[in-house]
Amino acid sequence: MIDLIQSQLTFTNLILLFIIAAVLLMTLLGFVSYAIYFERKFIGWIQLRIGPNRTGPLGLFQSFADILKLLIKEDVIPTKADKTLFIIAPVIAFAPAFIVLATIPYAENLPFADLNVGLLYYIAISGLTTLGMLMGGWASNNKYALLGGMRSAAQMISYEVPLVISVIGVILMTGSLKLSAIVEGQAGYIWNWNIFPQAVAFIIFLIAAVSELNRTPFDLPEAESELVAGYHVEYSGFRFAFFMLAEYTYVFAFSALTTILFLGGWHAPLPALEFVPGILWFLLKFSFMVFFLYWIRATLPRLRVDQLMGLGWKVLLPIALVNVFITAIVLEIIRN
Amino acid sequence: MLRTEELLLNVGPQHPSTHGVFRIVLKIDGEIIKEATPVIGYLHRGTEKLAENLNYTQIIPYTDRMDYVSAMTNNYALVNSVEKMMQLEIPERAEFLRLIVMELQRIASHLVWFGTYLLDIGAMSPFLYAFRDRETIINLFNELCGARLTYFYMRVGGVKWDAPEGWIEKVKNFLPEMRRNLDEYHELVSGNEIFLARVKGIGKYDAQTAINFGLSGANLRSTGVKWDLRKDQPYSIYDRFEFDVATHPDGDCWSRYVVRMEEIKQSIRILEQAVEQFPAEGEIMGKVPRVIRPAEGEVYAGIESPRGEIGVHIVSKGKAEPYRLKFRRPSFTNLQILEKLLVGENITNMVTILGGIDIVLGEVDG
Amino acid sequence: MRGIVRGLGVTFKNMTRKKITYAYPDVPINMPDRFRGIQHFDPDKCIVCNQCSRICPTECITLTGKPNPDPEKKGKVIDTYDINFEICILCDLCTEVCPTEAIVMTNNFELATYSRDDLFKNLEWLNNNNTNVRSEQNSAMPKPKKEASAE
Repeated sequence: MIDLIQSQLTFTNLILLFIIAAVLLMTLLGFVSYAIYFERKFIGWIQLRIGPNRTGPLGLFQSFADILKLLIKEDVIPTKADKTLFIIAPVIAFAPAFIVLATIPYAENLPFADLNVGLLYYIAISGLTTLGMLMGGWASNNKYALLGGMRSAAQMISYEVPLVISVIGVILMTGSLKLSAIVEGQAGYIWNWNIFPQAVAFIIFLIAAVSELNRTPFDLPEAESELVAGYHVEYSGFRFAFFMLAEYTYVFAFSALTTILFLGGWHAPLPALEFVPGILWFLLKFSFMVFFLYWIRATLPRLRVDQLMGLGWKVLLPIALVNVFITAIVLEIIRN
Repeated sequence: MLRTEELLLNVGPQHPSTHGVFRIVLKIDGEIIKEATPVIGYLHRGTEKLAENLNYTQIIPYTDRMDYVSAMTNNYALVNSVEKMMQLEIPERAEFLRLIVMELQRIASHLVWFGTYLLDIGAMSPFLYAFRDRETIINLFNELCGARLTYFYMRVGGVKWDAPEGWIEKVKNFLPEMRRNLDEYHELVSGNEIFLARVKGIGKYDAQTAINFGLSGANLRSTGVKWDLRKDQPYSIYDRFEFDVATHPDGDCWSRYVVRMEEIKQSIRILEQAVEQFPAEGEIMGKVPRVIRPAEGEVYAGIESPRGEIGVHIVSKGKAEPYRLKFRRPSFTNLQILEKLLVGENITNMVTILGGIDIVLGEVDG
Repeated sequence: MRGIVRGLGVTFKNMTRKKITYAYPDVPINMPDRFRGIQHFDPDKCIVCNQCSRICPTECITLTGKPNPDPEKKGKVIDTYDINFEICILCDLCTEVCPTEAIVMTNNFELATYSRDDLFKNLEWLNNNNTNVRSEQNSAMPKPKKEASAE
């Protein structure tokens, strides 16, 4: 694939690239439907019950049944809602999720659009989703949605900061923003992975990522038990599916990013296991991250808004800054 | 300048965490509540009025449906008042059965509270774990009296069914399992920092306020007042068993949680003693006249239900139906403090406080 | 942080435990014998004493009798017997007071229909509902004497 990207842009090359992109998007859609299915299954097992098991063998067609239901629903737009904003909001919430996936390298020979500023591009684009949520909350003409939208805007903006700063430690160690270079910097085996020297940054990144994803314990914007689904309360049918799709695409994107930044990307952990192809390691670590997100969702209660803001600004940010300083100092000492 | 105004938010009758059809009209400024007005009556079914035309045995199924989460204690409240008015003697085995059933019901009710409280706070799993234990208790009740939720088990003068073969053994085997599961719940929830941050210091009131508002049950004991009707005005055979009354000095939601979990432990303790001392044989129904016709007069008798003091005030004119039957319902009285507690709180805390008071709408509306 | 980690341990351990859900409706639920389900009515035993309809707390039983067609026997025979299941609360008081155990309860509980009219059950339906009849009825009839052991 690398030679395909580096060769000249002829018409056939364009078609080939287009097909590869389409394959990625299909994989993503497949991932999203089965991520939802596995989430329900895993959380079901944790709660001593079987998850979906009636539609299709082992319930495998459950997601398709849900998506079909959402597709054939009536498109309800509240009367006094701001029509343009109401219709655009899901699109703005959802498009950045797809755009971000272009820069993630899955294996050595599948780098996709490996930008030189890949990490910066990633974090910048993922911030655009907040705009969509705010628009959705405002345009719905519903007090609950407005509260949810404002909460989500405040939350996502505040957690962008520790997210980025915790990653600076990794960038300092690698010396580049290019995602494949970061993975190359972790070549070697498990003791070379970034999670060990940057353990504190890993934890901060994890907490900030869960908050960016609007998942429990930070799922105030969609707190079921208070705001009855927050900013997407007035959305039904396929527009609601857009918001859900955006959320699960971000789960995909953030799990992939964690794998790349901290868990060594496509490298095997031990020399004995070198024979397994890189893409399989990537998928394994990625699945572990996704499972971890589900596990947290099943266990933890929700934080309150002021506690969440307090956590973001007063706890995570200082620790992330201290981490950056210490990393810089240690790297200076090593270099001398 | 930006014009800000207060928002009128209607936490409507249909809402996932108001524990039933309950409505609060909130005036909020940003996220702080300025004024809260609870609106009740969506589940009013006219039980007290209906009771004027039914004789005492026919009213008992209606009491099941008032506080549907803990139906046995409701049954007992009514039956206790009638027996007090008629000065009836209850046989020993019937008393033991009543006590065992009421304590099991207390555990089941507190499990529902635990599960739904944590669900409101955001954790999904403890709900299902609590219902696993509640399912065991409900199956025990199903074997005993033939229903899973509306038992109609007590009668004036005794109980209806005797314990079937092996039922006491099953209760005995359930108790150590419940102890283990209670430890599991503490492990999962009580140390969780997020839960503690959500619950500590919220909804605080002191003992004098609690007494002025007429609170009872765990809401009163969470302020440090040691008042439990099972010990202070003993009824049935509670004076034969030793158990502690759980209290906690702070008056916030955390102390209510601690008090209720401790009450489950004390109920297990009472049950262990009761199952040991269970009489091997005996009558289950005392000497009761065919038609229950109390003498003219009135009586009030209160007992300790999982939510507080439930009492029945009967005015009888000597007929088979009561002249006036009034239920003193604990959820209704406990709810009065909500308006005072909510001023100045976050909206998120409203759900925490409402859950901590532990109301059942069937009981609030009657 | 420690409390959270311990909580995570508890949920992880529960993943490996046996599931507690029932596979209803593929596997029918067997209720214990005393379960108060839908009633079964035996018209031959009924003596039209009206006790059941008087004791019912919600007044859901309506019945009419006719004089015995056999001119030698005295008393009435049951003609129509209806239970309105929209308001029957399955409290089993009717079973308790029936002197001949003509109305008894079964362990069936599946009565859901698509229309409310179907919930008004007549004598024939109640007579045909004779599966899973309870063995322990606890009606006011005197019980058979126990074996001479606890004398």
